[in-house]
Amino acid sequence: MRRAPLVLLLMVTVAAPATAVSQTLTQDEALALAFPGAQVERATAYLGDAELERARSLAGDDVSIESTVVSYYVARRAGETLGVAYFDVHRVRTLPEVLMVVVGPDREIRRLETIVFREPPEYRAPDGWLRLFQSRTLTPGLSLKGDIPNMTGATLTSGAVTQAVRRVLALHEVIDPLKTPES
Amino acid sequence: MNLDLPRSPSAILLTLLAAAALSPEVATTQATDSARIAQLERQMEAVSRELERMRLGQEVIVADSSVQGLGPAASRVYRAEQGVSLAGYGEVLYENYAAQAEDGVTSGPVDRFDALRAILYVGYKFNDRLLFNSEIEVEHADEIFLEFAYIDYQVADAWGIRAGLLLAPLGLVNELHEPTVWLGSERSLTESRIIPTTWRENGIGVFGGTDAVSWRVYVMNSLDAAGFNGAGLRGGRQKGSRALAEDLGVAARFDYVGTPGLIVGASAYAGETAHGRTDTSGQEIGGRTVIWEGHFDYKWRGWDLRALVAGATVQDVAELNQLNSLTGAAGIGSEMLGWYGQVGYDVLRASGSTHQLLPYVRHERIDTQRETATGFAANPANDARATLLGFAWKPVPQVVAKIDYQLHSNAANTGVDQFNFQLGWLF
Repeated sequence: MRRAPLVLLLMVTVAAPATAVSQTLTQDEALALAFPGAQVERATAYLGDAELERARSLAGDDVSIESTVVSYYVARRAGETLGVAYFDVHRVRTLPEVLMVVVGPDREIRRLETIVFREPPEYRAPDGWLRLFQSRTLTPGLSLKGDIPNMTGATLTSGAVTQAVRRVLALHEVIDPLKTPES
Repeated sequence: MNLDLPRSPSAILLTLLAAAALSPEVATTQATDSARIAQLERQMEAVSRELERMRLGQEVIVADSSVQGLGPAASRVYRAEQGVSLAGYGEVLYENYAAQAEDGVTSGPVDRFDALRAILYVGYKFNDRLLFNSEIEVEHADEIFLEFAYIDYQVADAWGIRAGLLLAPLGLVNELHEPTVWLGSERSLTESRIIPTTWRENGIGVFGGTDAVSWRVYVMNSLDAAGFNGAGLRGGRQKGSRALAEDLGVAARFDYVGTPGLIVGASAYAGETAHGRTDTSGQEIGGRTVIWEGHFDYKWRGWDLRALVAGATVQDVAELNQLNSLTGAAGIGSEMLGWYGQVGYDVLRASGSTHQLLPYVRHERIDTQRETATGFAANPANDARATLLGFAWKPVPQVVAKIDYQLHSNAANTGVDQFNFQLGWLF
């Protein structure tokens, strides 16, 4: 009788069918998820020293911005601009995470999608927490001291994601990919 | 032959552009300016794509395709990057005891400065479904433990199987015991004596969750009642080392996690704990032990709020006392109860500083001999109260320094106050 729980558990687990699990998305899959049916155009911005400094200043002291080459994806449908997607890669603990951050024409966060997460799954940010970033702009409240609560047991993920969003919004502000070309 | 190749993305970009500009083909071409500009644009596009591929990783960029006859989703399992994950945490603790107990008598405990824990975390991801997690702990600078070591098999998005040396999924601290996660320089009495943190046993179980809930059910080798005493269940941990497994226990946990920053849940454990031992009449002792708890943890806008209540019941206590040679007031409690509430607030929240400074207070009550077996008395010293007043400073989220003063009292008036300093880290 003492082993009945173990026998039951083994029966359940052995009989378990394997179904899809959260896996790495490709860039194409992620963009199709964010902009279904849209035309997506890739572009690259090359930042000068002054632009890099401005982006760092906007992002805040605890956010690092090292690269001067920034690729982004502008989505349009029927002549209407839907948004701009950035793919931000950063370290969580010792391993990298790739996030897709979608910024709307109004400079608000439209969508946040975890593309790659290499740390153990229990440290991965749940969708409900990621949705907290929706409609946010680059304000002081966009921080773990502000409106974004720390996830107990996943503080490094909380910090890495929040910093990534601030970094992308700061770069978006500096690059300004949707500005009307000067005549 | 040594080639001094550029390594940084910027250096690669410059080198490729320079090579393109100096190429004899380019130099000798009669192409118009617009054609040359178009060519340079194509080259820059190619280089920027290459940079992006290097940053994000091959499997993110490459369009999906099936591998070994599997569908696209399943084939990704075989393409996912594998490898080792390394991390760790630790804490150093200074304890300074008051010279006198609350009854005015010389207290007794000696002040200590201890390299309490240094932990190396090692994980290995075999593929997207299968991974290994472990913690190797050095305690007090000279004791080595395997704190946990298990294999996870993610059966589906919503659930998976876990087996190996597992952390019992009870309470707030047992699974999340890194010093940067909880306030207080020492763990609570309730989560030391009733929930014997850090409690790990060998077993197998299932885990799962959604955006709103999280759950785990494990079958583990049971606690060993030979280590129980009047102060609680802590000595019953077998820690995975040649563990007696005549008795198995079941541990289960359920949490609501649907509101970011909030964890509300409960967990329980049940199992016989005598592992086939017999009493003086040759009758097998059961020693069924049940531990239950409810918890609340909320972090929001600088507030760090936490509460927990836990209880335990132990059957066949008279027989277990006899087995453990416990008499009088030293006997195991047949019923135990403890609870605590804790509040902290980051006073630097509005300052713009990246540091955190959290004054905190925790109040706790615990009685590990709330009920005893017939013929045994309760030691009033086990009916205890503790109040912590202190603050935690975090220059970065992964490093914490905590200072607190603990006011201890008990029904025997032998409580000894103490001042603590803890330095903790996590990486």
